[in-house]
Amino acid sequence: MNSVETLPVERFQAGDFKSDLKPIWCPGCGDFGVVTALTRALAAIGRPPHEIAFVSGIGCSSRIPGYTTAYGFNTVHGRSLPIAQGIKLANPELLVLVASGDGDGFSIGGGHVPHVIRRNIDITYIVMDNQIYGLTKGQLSPTSPRGRKTATSNFGSLEDPVNPLLYVLGYGASFVAQGSPLDMAGLAKLIEEGIRFPGFAFINVQSPCVTYGEEDQQLKGQRTRLQNLGAMGHDPSDRAKAIELAREYGTKLYTGVLYRNPTPGPTYGDGVAQRHQTLQKQAVPRHDILKRFIPSPTA
Amino acid sequence: MSNDLIIGIAGAGGDGVVSAGESLITAAALEGYHGIMTKSFGSQIRGGEASCRLRLATQPVLNPNGPLDVAVALNWEDFRRFGGELPVESRTIVIYESNTGVSPDRLPLEGVKPSVVFSVPITQMAEKFAGTAKAKNIVVAGLLAGWFGIGRESMLTGIRKKFAKKGAEVVNGNVCAFQAGLDFAEAHPLKEDRKLGAPEAGRQAKLLTDGNDMCAAAAIFAGCNFFGGYPITPSTEIMQFLDREIWKYGGTVFQAEDEIAGLGAVVGASFAGKKAMTATSGPGMSLKTEMLGLASIAELPLVCVNVQRGGPSTGLPTKAEQSDLFQAAFSAHGDCLRPVLAPVSVADTFPITVEAFNIAEHYQTPVILLSDQEISQRKETVDPIDTSKFQIVERRRPAGAELANYARFKLTDSGISPISHPGMEGGNYLAAGIEHDEKGRPTASGEMHAKMNDKRFNKFNPLKNRRDLFVTIGDQDAPIGLVSWGSVAGVAMEALRLAKDQGMHVKLLIPKLLFPVAEPVFEDFFASVKCGLFVEQSHQAQLYRLVRMYVDVPRQVKPLAKSGSNPIQPGDVLECLRKLVVTMQCNPNHQPEAMVG
Ligand SMILES: Cc1ncc(C[n+]2csc(CCOP(=O)(O)OP(=O)(O)O)c2C)c(N)n1
Ligand code: SF4
Ligand SMILES: [Mg+2]
Repeated sequence: MNSVETLPVERFQAGDFKSDLKPIWCPGCGDFGVVTALTRALAAIGRPPHEIAFVSGIGCSSRIPGYTTAYGFNTVHGRSLPIAQGIKLANPELLVLVASGDGDGFSIGGGHVPHVIRRNIDITYIVMDNQIYGLTKGQLSPTSPRGRKTATSNFGSLEDPVNPLLYVLGYGASFVAQGSPLDMAGLAKLIEEGIRFPGFAFINVQSPCVTYGEEDQQLKGQRTRLQNLGAMGHDPSDRAKAIELAREYGTKLYTGVLYRNPTPGPTYGDGVAQRHQTLQKQAVPRHDILKRFIPSPTA
Repeated sequence: MSNDLIIGIAGAGGDGVVSAGESLITAAALEGYHGIMTKSFGSQIRGGEASCRLRLATQPVLNPNGPLDVAVALNWEDFRRFGGELPVESRTIVIYESNTGVSPDRLPLEGVKPSVVFSVPITQMAEKFAGTAKAKNIVVAGLLAGWFGIGRESMLTGIRKKFAKKGAEVVNGNVCAFQAGLDFAEAHPLKEDRKLGAPEAGRQAKLLTDGNDMCAAAAIFAGCNFFGGYPITPSTEIMQFLDREIWKYGGTVFQAEDEIAGLGAVVGASFAGKKAMTATSGPGMSLKTEMLGLASIAELPLVCVNVQRGGPSTGLPTKAEQSDLFQAAFSAHGDCLRPVLAPVSVADTFPITVEAFNIAEHYQTPVILLSDQEISQRKETVDPIDTSKFQIVERRRPAGAELANYARFKLTDSGISPISHPGMEGGNYLAAGIEHDEKGRPTASGEMHAKMNDKRFNKFNPLKNRRDLFVTIGDQDAPIGLVSWGSVAGVAMEALRLAKDQGMHVKLLIPKLLFPVAEPVFEDFFASVKCGLFVEQSHQAQLYRLVRMYVDVPRQVKPLAKSGSNPIQPGDVLECLRKLVVTMQCNPNHQPEAMVG
């Protein structure tokens, strides 16, 4: 038990993480709920905004860093993960968050996901999955269901969707969760847990697009479908079960932690820190580096 | 006596051709000679034919090119596979393996009859003295040391060091094999003494390295702490060197899943406040352009090295070409300027790489460093460099009052605004690929976009007066002008010497800063010029065309341009110059054709 003295002091309120930039999302967009949940999570974590780097790609969802007071980086479409990894490796002290959309994260940027997972770089990846391209006004997304009619699939999609939960579980992610702004407190808690998790954490957020999204994906539609994994008694350390549940993506709507590795492996940063420690003794002063090129006789 | 010796050695993969070359150039460097060594291989990764060219001299060596003074063939099929890379003339001294069964007056060389030919039982000598044919390279080194007077002592030291672990018998065997080579040379003296004279600047030892390692070392010196990239020939050694060294300084080498992610991580590391770089070649450069645009608009410092090879696409992965200049200058979409620098040699790679970091940090910009396959992979002797003469520039960070109401992209007179990084209290801002106002807030305002474009262009204006990034050789008022860059500049320098020897009044301009085009420097250079040549290794003569976009180049200045893997020889330059001058004298208004397509 914590003694009274060591109980964390509430240093920050959610409001401290909200910038004065007014979001330009459509009224009712699910992403509003994500900023709210995120800022609550950050208040609970208690790191000051200047120690947080919040990276995103391009999309409606990717506007989110600008609406916070953290150091933000609204990068280019699909490339938030590589940039975020560079930030984390350059300064491991930072809290690094990444936000993305379903297109940004699983279409153009999908190729980066396996690599950040296998490296286990300690960043938290939040995908706002609305099964549509919002910013470009309603085209087919990699998570749109087969048959879905959009501006670029007028006669219905001919493709099966990507299953984001199964995708990251398949590559061996150690923390996989799904949330919805419908359950704001739950979503805030999931983000907080993701940040606290020592290693790469993935949170898929069912954040509806009110303008181009389908009826059943709206928060109203979600209300009847949403099932909380905690309430269901799901054991998040059970990876096989997590995979089973993840398979139901698209038909069932589970929220909560699907999988949390009970014995997480070392992070990439752990390895880097250890290497720095062992190798630093071998450094010659930088201005002596050319001594490497003094030849020695060879045959 | 010789003051400049070009030696070509070729054989099968396992013949130790490259080791022989390496031990010789090492010996030369230790004895204070100048030298360049290039290697060339058949298309197989291992095995196949191998060759090396060594150019050793008593004064600085400007390029590795030229016909051979000495040709060593361990077998003729392999030697002949290198064709124009190892050109033999009648004055070339030919040394070859006698077990090839070829008679000295029937060498399989088309159209040349070298006058001095030695058939040497190289394998037999290796087997006899060292007990193994593997010692062929030692015998070859002995022969060359004997005839040309290089590396006797250091070869012997090298042999002792290399074989020490294998015991006294092996050491002794190899020493004897080397001695056998020396003895053979002594028993068959050249009619004319071709031994290399004493080095002009004395016998002070030189450094020895290649362009990629030099680039990596310069990066360490400049304070680079992060490398992100993806392996690609001929740039990979930069990443490999840094992986061996950078961790010791608390830095990181990050092998990304592709070049986009590689440069992405560099952009991230720079945003986080670190000096960061990537290195790649053509195909990787094509992938990196998106990130270059992002770094330009977000005004993030970074260095992107492109070790040019032949293109387009996979092109000629192991051959040098200067065909990525347009791409470097205009690499990403939108109105944008990224400085482009190019070193002319291995030695020059040090200051130019340091400069690339300095410019990147000072101007908060990606800088493209254009090396090429030749510089990157050739071994070169380098005079000791006094690193205390170099200044290291750090990005301007906000402090005190600047942080009170911090505006990351403040419109300042210089166009340079103090840059914060995560972790710095009060410096919080939104970096973005989207256009922004002074505080980093997204905007679609035309007025703000124009202002920011002005800022992002005008900040580079001082670069155009960086005359220290240009070398001019020759009289200021010369009417004939040569312009050349990168590894080819060394050819132009030699051509200049020859042209002057022949009485031509000629000068040479070598830009190390290629973009932005420094109009004042080029205008001053061309003021006296009536005719001349841009000497470069690309089909399109890219520097010639790039400069003409910004500068009124005199009409009688023409490109001498060849596609990659077709070495431009100093003699080619001379011949073109002669033609130009003759045409000019007959008809000064005549517009001659481009010299070589
Ligand atoms: C390289 C590139 N290709 C295409 C685009 C256009 N584009 C911007 S956002 C986007 C898709 C957005 O969808 P998603 O990632 O799901 O985000 P959402 O807007 O739905 O939140 C596209 C195609 C771009 N900006 N860059
Ligand atoms: S288009 Fe859709 S995703 Fe984009 S802001 Fe509007 S509701 Fe949100
Ligand atoms: Mg979407």
